[in-house]
Amino acid sequence: MNRMSQSLILVLLGGAVLRVTVLSTTYVNYVKPGFRPFLIAAGAVVLVLGVVGLVQEWRKPHVTETVPAQGDEDTESGSTHAAAGDHGHHHGHDHSRVSRVAWLLCLPVFAIFLIAPPPLGAFAARSEEAPPPPPALPADAYVPLAADRATSMELGEFIGRAWGDSRHSLAGKKVTLTGFVVRSSKKDRWYVTRMQMSCCAADAIALKVAVLDAERPPDDTWVEVTGTWVAPKTDKIPNGTVAPELAATEVAEIPQPFEPYE
Amino acid sequence: MPDRAVADRTVEIPPDAWGRRSAVAPVMPWVFALVVVLLLLGRFVLTPVLTAPALQTWATVFVAICVQALPFLVFGVLLSAAITAFVPPSFWTRALPRHPYVAVPVAGAAGAVLPGCECASVPVASGLMARGVTPAAALAFLLSSPAINPVVVVATAVAFPQQPLMVVSRFCASLAVAVLVGWVWLRFGRSGWLRVPSRPPASGSSWVAFRDAMRHDLLHAGGFLVVGGLTAATLNVVVPRTWLSSVADVPVLSVVVLGLLAVLLSICSEADAFVAASLTAFSPTAKLAFLVVGPMVDLKLIALQAGTFGRSFAIRFVPVTFLLGIVTSIAVGEVLL
Repeated sequence: MNRMSQSLILVLLGGAVLRVTVLSTTYVNYVKPGFRPFLIAAGAVVLVLGVVGLVQEWRKPHVTETVPAQGDEDTESGSTHAAAGDHGHHHGHDHSRVSRVAWLLCLPVFAIFLIAPPPLGAFAARSEEAPPPPPALPADAYVPLAADRATSMELGEFIGRAWGDSRHSLAGKKVTLTGFVVRSSKKDRWYVTRMQMSCCAADAIALKVAVLDAERPPDDTWVEVTGTWVAPKTDKIPNGTVAPELAATEVAEIPQPFEPYE
Repeated sequence: MPDRAVADRTVEIPPDAWGRRSAVAPVMPWVFALVVVLLLLGRFVLTPVLTAPALQTWATVFVAICVQALPFLVFGVLLSAAITAFVPPSFWTRALPRHPYVAVPVAGAAGAVLPGCECASVPVASGLMARGVTPAAALAFLLSSPAINPVVVVATAVAFPQQPLMVVSRFCASLAVAVLVGWVWLRFGRSGWLRVPSRPPASGSSWVAFRDAMRHDLLHAGGFLVVGGLTAATLNVVVPRTWLSSVADVPVLSVVVLGLLAVLLSICSEADAFVAASLTAFSPTAKLAFLVVGPMVDLKLIALQAGTFGRSFAIRFVPVTFLLGIVTSIAVGEVLL
């Protein structure tokens, strides 16, 4: 791989990273919003490195006249390798020569531009598995809810209250949950779902609440569901086996929120 | 024979290279412009077609791994290039103890100061070796720095609010594994297995050397990072996590299974504590194994190590590290958790 291709790959890679961070906000589909400054800095470093390389390369015909020793650095023809007779030895030693594996850096660039990956949705959350029980919090961490109006809360908090709150603060109170629709194999319910991400989409976990008494919108529709918690009929089923349930009174379609993950 | 080969190169290549350059230079900008136009056009033509949910989910996870690792990779490469270009080799002989068996734990403990994840530590360790640091000491640093640095310690404490001992166990077990692997390498390792990246002193200024080292390491390590990202994303989408819960109650097997899961998932060491905390069905010792093995052995790291230090290094180093990671986790888990 010669210097020109190396610089081109760096420009494409840096450009793609800046494309998802500066020119749009697609980066929230992949990482936490707080990660943006680091991504911009890294993208800028890569882009500058590539642009500097390109500029040098275009100027080079004039430079080579004075420093011909530079000329033998960036050849990677098969004949040179055969003549050297020591294929592996040269890889990774000479800084101007990079093995062909660097071409793979084009793959994330193509994925970003051509597939434009959306946030994780119903496919990633398709398994019928219940969400993992959230870390146990002290009982006073859950403040009492208003009795006269619906309280908006995150799915994580709803699941925490449903499973971890000994004072049953959810009982009889109206709440509003925001998430996307995932179908269930059971006829009487569907799931309002949000992915919980701690660092990047690779570690995302699906938080699900089963919605009862409501018509199911198509998969991946973003909705606001208002309703009341349905306490489990027995306490023999341990937490984390079945998703908590919500009897819905109102389901409203909404546009996708800025932060798709919780 | 090698001498002649080198002589042939110097005789033959310059005219060839000049010829290539004059042919390549006018074409390349147009190729570049074409690629950019195709990418922008492809967005309108191909994006509506590439909508299969499985493909999109795979692409999201793949891009997420790459995008998330890039800043750490750039940081590690910057640091490594700075070590190569600006720190004289004599500094390391003075900073580290002369005796290699003592240098290993010192280098392992020094890992506590480099904030970053495993993608940063590979280029830094390679830069250290190139500057004459004993490979075993550089390897101890490579293993310890992603697991015991302040950012990871804080993340672990946040993920396990009820279990402060988990943080202590992770710190101790990770440092112990790093030092043990370093000593094992010192005792049994052969120099032929490890490809120490030699950095010939650059002819130009140290800024030119800095830039060249950075460009080389970034492209090289980045390529292997993509290999790891491809594998991890595929496994992430294909393997359902429900398979795990069936082994959660078996004592030793559950520890090994979570260790293997850490290898397959290739989660950044700054995030793995949150994932470990969500695996509630497993024992604390099994979670500890997940936290100890993950930053030291995972798919993207194996790809990076094989690319940087050679394949014959990786096939020996990776199993030894994995085995010691599991054994140490069980031992530390018995005592502390």
